[in-house]
Amino acid sequence: MSSNRDALLKRLRDEAVMIRRGLWRAFHNGGSGHVGGSSSAADMLSALYFHHLRLRPAEPDWPDRDRFVLSKGHANGGLVAALARAGFFPEDELDTFYGFESLLGMHPDIKCPGVEMSTGGLGHGLSIGLGMALGARLQAKEFRTIVMLGDGELQEGSNWEAAMHAAHLRLAELTAIVDYNKVQQSDHVGTLLGLEPLADKWRAFGWEVREIDGHDMEQIIDALDALPFVAEKPSLLVAHTVKGKGVGFAEDTYTWHMNMVTDEVYAEALAELGEPS
Amino acid sequence: MSAAPEAHQNQSRLAFGLAVTALAEADPRVVAISADTLDLIGIRDMKARLPERVIEAGIAEQNAMGVASGLATTGMRPFVCGYAPFITARSMEQLRNDVAYANQRVVIGAAASGVVLGVSGGTHHALEDLAVLRSFPGMTVIVPADANQAWQATLATDDIDGPVYVRLGGRMLEPEVTPADALFRLGRADELRAGSDVTVIACGALVAPALAAAETLGEAGVSVRILNMATIKPLDREAVLAAAAETQGIVTAEEHHLTGGLGGAVAELLATTRPTAMRFVGMPDEFAVVGPTDKVREKYGMSAEGIVDACRDLLS
Repeated sequence: MSSNRDALLKRLRDEAVMIRRGLWRAFHNGGSGHVGGSSSAADMLSALYFHHLRLRPAEPDWPDRDRFVLSKGHANGGLVAALARAGFFPEDELDTFYGFESLLGMHPDIKCPGVEMSTGGLGHGLSIGLGMALGARLQAKEFRTIVMLGDGELQEGSNWEAAMHAAHLRLAELTAIVDYNKVQQSDHVGTLLGLEPLADKWRAFGWEVREIDGHDMEQIIDALDALPFVAEKPSLLVAHTVKGKGVGFAEDTYTWHMNMVTDEVYAEALAELGEPS
Repeated sequence: MSAAPEAHQNQSRLAFGLAVTALAEADPRVVAISADTLDLIGIRDMKARLPERVIEAGIAEQNAMGVASGLATTGMRPFVCGYAPFITARSMEQLRNDVAYANQRVVIGAAASGVVLGVSGGTHHALEDLAVLRSFPGMTVIVPADANQAWQATLATDDIDGPVYVRLGGRMLEPEVTPADALFRLGRADELRAGSDVTVIACGALVAPALAAAETLGEAGVSVRILNMATIKPLDREAVLAAAAETQGIVTAEEHHLTGGLGGAVAELLATTRPTAMRFVGMPDEFAVVGPTDKVREKYGMSAEGIVDACRDLLS
């Protein structure tokens, strides 16, 4: 049992490395990218796509699949890197990022295999996920819905409309993860327009909340395995993360919310990320 | 398809709710999403009979629109029920991104459009919705002329594989101008009156005044063709081009700003195919005054008199 868990953890950590390498590859191809928010989400994307979500990459529209909505759509580099690793399309497609008529643009496109919703305008995903979870309930289906939110994104009021609605519906079929990397486009979130007390806000809105280190793979899978946290309440996972995680010069700085990715920068990033052991 | 029920009380908003209820009874995928609009749209009875299929989102239109999109991705058939001024303007980004851009099968019923809420003032008028909605690729835009047509059009949305906007009236009687059993023909204008001198292309609340105007002008020897253009998008190109060819000019009439609505759609077509003399009846480039709906309509020429004047001006 323990060796199985160790093997799982190793695999998920390895996939997280590959997702980070993939997102840098995509952004290098595009010439720029949202490195910070894609990298902060990478460990959770690994756990979602290689452990938690029930998906059929060869049958992306399988009606009973779990749904994952990347509400913080600017982290699409991380999402498409995970989708490629999971087999929704070849990893070489990452070299079309930003390309003419590519399905891999800066933000997720519902036409891309594995992408559940076109996102990018912030504050949309939680309502959409609510609708998906409600669709499961109304059709007596078992699929689960997970929405990943950015922290800066929570400044959009529409999130709180959805938060109130999901709790009112006792929608335990719905989970939201806040990628709480504490940095947004122009500054640290706490300086620009703070969210604290964040967990208490969600609790007050009627959600069951857990907080984890969003880079600790054991904490991530333990939290995902515990979903829903309680019956009859939507679950919220506050994942404390580091913006740009994995490449020192990009960590915890708004300058790497989005930045140019030159050949030199790319080489430096890959060298620091290394390869799975 | 069945004839419109009298229960619609000659109010298109109620006809929409009745039709959604009828569709829901026949199809378990159909759900209504209320934004505190149970009575506005007439779905309180649906909630009593099919409680799990009326989703109350509260006064939160952005969320209501996103929820509808999410539901649609799972195979449900959501009908969003809102006030025209709020369900369009407040949730515009959700409407554009989550519904139109993601091409989800969501039907929006927008009641109290135009200056129906006249006494409420400009915050409650919806005079830009057609211009914005018809600019979204893939969006079908329908403006029923009366409650009968609202019933038929709402039933007909069942066959539309994409987002649909249905513009509805308010808590007031709407004159009956279409037969209760007239099937809705998407993208097809209905000729309500034949005529050879001038054509009035009208939609929604301006169809009845257009018919009255044709009567007045007919008494003066002017032969007026009346087209009920209930589908703004896709526009019935053939009917417009035929009117341009067979009469001396076209007057459009709508309860909407003159920028970008029905008149804009017709003008765009004619400018590139068959330049034709036109006049536009609608709301000028200003916010409407407060007042009873009929008086507000009259002030800005959205009336039989206004249409008569526009026709005479065109023919002079």
